Amino acid sequence: MERDYDVVVVGAGIAGAMAAYRLAEAGARVLLLEAGNRNPSRAQMVGSYATASPKTLHSPYVQVESDTKAPSPDSSSTYYDQPPAPHTQYKSTYERRTGGSTWHWLGHTPRMLRSDFKMRSQYGGSPDFPPDLVDWPITYDDLEPWYCEAEKEMGVAGAHEEWDGLFDSPRSKPFPMSMIWPSYSDTWIAERINGRSFEGLEYRVRSTPSARNSELYDGRPPCAGNSICVPLCPIGAKYDASVHVRKATTAGASLWEQCVVTKLDKDADGSVHTVNFLTYGGARKTVTAEVVVVAAHAIETPKLLLMSGLANKNDQVGRNLMDHLSKSTFGIAPEPLFPFRGPPSTSGIESFRDGDFRRVRAGFRVSLNNDGWSRKGAPYTEIIDFVTNKKRIGADLREALFARVTKQLRLSCSVEVAPDQNNRVELSGQTDGLGLPRPKVTFTPPDYSFKGLAQATRTLGDIFNLIGAKEVDLGVDNAYDGAGHIMGTCRMGGSPENSVVDAECRTHEHRNVFILGSSVFPTVGSPNPTLTIAALALRAAKDIATQLGVTTQRKVSA
Amino acid sequence: MKPSRTVDTRTDLLKLLCEAAELEHGIACSYLYAAFSLKRDMAEGGMTWEEQQKVRRWAAQIYFVASQEMLHLALVWNLTTAIGGTPYYFRPNFPQNSKYYPIKVPIELEPFGPRSLRRFILYEHPQNIAQESALKSLLRSAVEDGEEIEFGSVGELYGLIESGFRSIDEKELFIGSPTQQMTKDLVHFPGLLPVLDRTSAIQAIHEITEQGEGTAKDREDSHYGAFVAILKELLDSRERGSGFSPARPAMQNPSARLERGYGADANPIGEPLAQQVAGLFDSVYSLMLRMLAWSFEFDSVGVEEQLKKFCSVTIDLMPRVLLPLGEGLMLMPAGEKYPGKTAGPGFGLTRHVMLPPSAENARQLCRERIKELAALAADLVQRSVPEPVKGACRHLGEIARNF
Repeated sequence: MERDYDVVVVGAGIAGAMAAYRLAEAGARVLLLEAGNRNPSRAQMVGSYATASPKTLHSPYVQVESDTKAPSPDSSSTYYDQPPAPHTQYKSTYERRTGGSTWHWLGHTPRMLRSDFKMRSQYGGSPDFPPDLVDWPITYDDLEPWYCEAEKEMGVAGAHEEWDGLFDSPRSKPFPMSMIWPSYSDTWIAERINGRSFEGLEYRVRSTPSARNSELYDGRPPCAGNSICVPLCPIGAKYDASVHVRKATTAGASLWEQCVVTKLDKDADGSVHTVNFLTYGGARKTVTAEVVVVAAHAIETPKLLLMSGLANKNDQVGRNLMDHLSKSTFGIAPEPLFPFRGPPSTSGIESFRDGDFRRVRAGFRVSLNNDGWSRKGAPYTEIIDFVTNKKRIGADLREALFARVTKQLRLSCSVEVAPDQNNRVELSGQTDGLGLPRPKVTFTPPDYSFKGLAQATRTLGDIFNLIGAKEVDLGVDNAYDGAGHIMGTCRMGGSPENSVVDAECRTHEHRNVFILGSSVFPTVGSPNPTLTIAALALRAAKDIATQLGVTTQRKVSA
Repeated sequence: MKPSRTVDTRTDLLKLLCEAAELEHGIACSYLYAAFSLKRDMAEGGMTWEEQQKVRRWAAQIYFVASQEMLHLALVWNLTTAIGGTPYYFRPNFPQNSKYYPIKVPIELEPFGPRSLRRFILYEHPQNIAQESALKSLLRSAVEDGEEIEFGSVGELYGLIESGFRSIDEKELFIGSPTQQMTKDLVHFPGLLPVLDRTSAIQAIHEITEQGEGTAKDREDSHYGAFVAILKELLDSRERGSGFSPARPAMQNPSARLERGYGADANPIGEPLAQQVAGLFDSVYSLMLRMLAWSFEFDSVGVEEQLKKFCSVTIDLMPRVLLPLGEGLMLMPAGEKYPGKTAGPGFGLTRHVMLPPSAENARQLCRERIKELAALAADLVQRSVPEPVKGACRHLGEIARNF
């Protein structure tokens, strides 16, 4: 039977767009279905952000219709059904739109480490080691060539010599672009802490690899230091998935936007070929395909599988929801570091990501940031304070502002969250604008991660101390922010008993259904997840193409 | 494409490297002048919000390309010292007519527009596509002046240089000290390669040509590709008939002082205050060049800290002093002789004292000079000059205090 398409991809974010591009290039008939709206021009979105008050992650992307019909936690603070409770809440959010949340990501692309793929076999055994912290069914070496491929596709700028071999994780190719040059603040801090150590681990500031052009690349301009990467790069120097959506459609893929997928139908033999969706107008439609790819990230993907009753014989869909615990700390440097320029963060410290300590507590990354105290409202709060409370105006105000704002420094950490079966996404009884269930989210970070967060906070305090900072604010114990790294919920594993997809991202139960994106991560380490998402998607595209070649008897090779 | 002749002596190779240094340097100034002229603020008029976003992107791209030209100059200096030469930082003042260089394209200071973009494309075009009709037609549509377009290419010059590095005996050729080579550990130039042998020399030459022309597979991500894209965007917006006017009405080929050995074709700025700011620009520019060239000239052994300091001060001077002075000049009237026009920096290289080999003496000379310039700047801050000029003057004061 001739089906409408070879492949239907649900979700036009980075994972879906990259797979769609590779498959369309390979000769497959591909349809990308996206719940969100078409994007206006970049300039219009910059305009929306410039005029918005207050400015939020969602400011450039406000669109009344899609915010109602395909709402997200970015567009609606009540989208998640979860009880308000301090320190036990899921705080990361996402966009539903063509290009997905890469529109407002920071752009950092560190790789996972060799040990991140084999946590249980390397560090398991102690009573403090979380029971759900497992090994991946693939190794760093399996993914390494795909990391290189993903870096090329996204356009990653980095310093090969600084990263090659980090914690026994070699790089087989240099980055496609030389690094984004470290900020003045980075070099100033590096001079004061490099070579010193905290509790036996040595500080070394490294430039953070990022999907941000340091030169002309892939038809996009180099970063011009506009500093508003989050929520939107005004010139497209930072990679976002609109790049691969465009490449996919140029290669022949179809893109249907404003199509909210509601259910995947299972045939008698367990295969899935029919995709049901609703338009914003409420029309019910279907489309059929040989292969269905669900790439709607770690909240919407399990939601769709649960709505469809698929891949969940072992009750694993939706479980092991993860994030990174993020914390911002603040201090005043002894001399001006000139923040508020360039990308918000250009360097970090990787020393605390791996070590024997992971038997009992989580690892973490440290980011040096270039955005002053903007997370606390600077420089506006300072202006208001100087004018209204300290009665300063004119040159006096300018000088006072300069003296303070130029010394503001934010250091932050991103702590590994261990998987936990009880942290999960389920279907809520509450519904959205199209009458579909909203996600019910349960999340309490495990003690393993809280211990990592406490250690990270002490480390940041030590750095502030070494550089002679004053007015240091390390925040409240156990308080954390979301890192925007939504992961887990359809874990990859070797056994159908305790995982949802196999090593090729194919569901154990339905051999023509693939899941792409961070939902398949069994564990997360501490790096930003997007590069791993892209590498897994490119790797899976090859397997999907192979499977399609067999089913359609056509030559399809990605 | 094979070069038309080969180079087989050190003398010839050094001459060509000096020519390349002059060209890279002059072209960088020409790009900077165009970038300075792009409007920043909506209040300057002539652009909508969307157009302003476009202009900001163009400015960023041109500044970026100019910074890579500076890297090319640095690479050429490393190539020069590797074979026993001295970094060459001189160049004739603007304008240079089309007969001066074999590329047969004039090098001028003129504001951003189709005419300057056409020149930029000619500087950077790959040799093998010079005859392609799409390029010719784009260049024709840029400026309808009926001017016969005849041109060579910078790539051709590097082809000759490469032939010299390939044909001259490697052991004979590389007589420079390895510790004379500048690397990114000493100066904040991403992509700066030390030249130690034939392989690294060829690598440096390829880095220059690939950034300029791109490769056969990828022209888009090169200086050439970027300028073609900008020109197309500009012509496209003109065709749609908007009142889009992205550039300030800056004069062409300005000079701060005519009597100081400028070329006869330069246009002296008439307005005394603008003349003074342009004079400060030239003095800072000249000091910056001398400090940079000094750092590339001498062996780093024993003077690493001074080299780093000199390099970091020169890199500081570019965005914090020269850039705002250049942009600010384009907001100041040029003088009665140029109705409706604003001034601009002449990048004038006037008679000056070359820095001595002694590190201590070189530092002393620079310290005294930067303080003198900071004093001039402190005077200018009190005058009625545009905000960017005031900012530049304040920055110069800070840099001088910390020198």
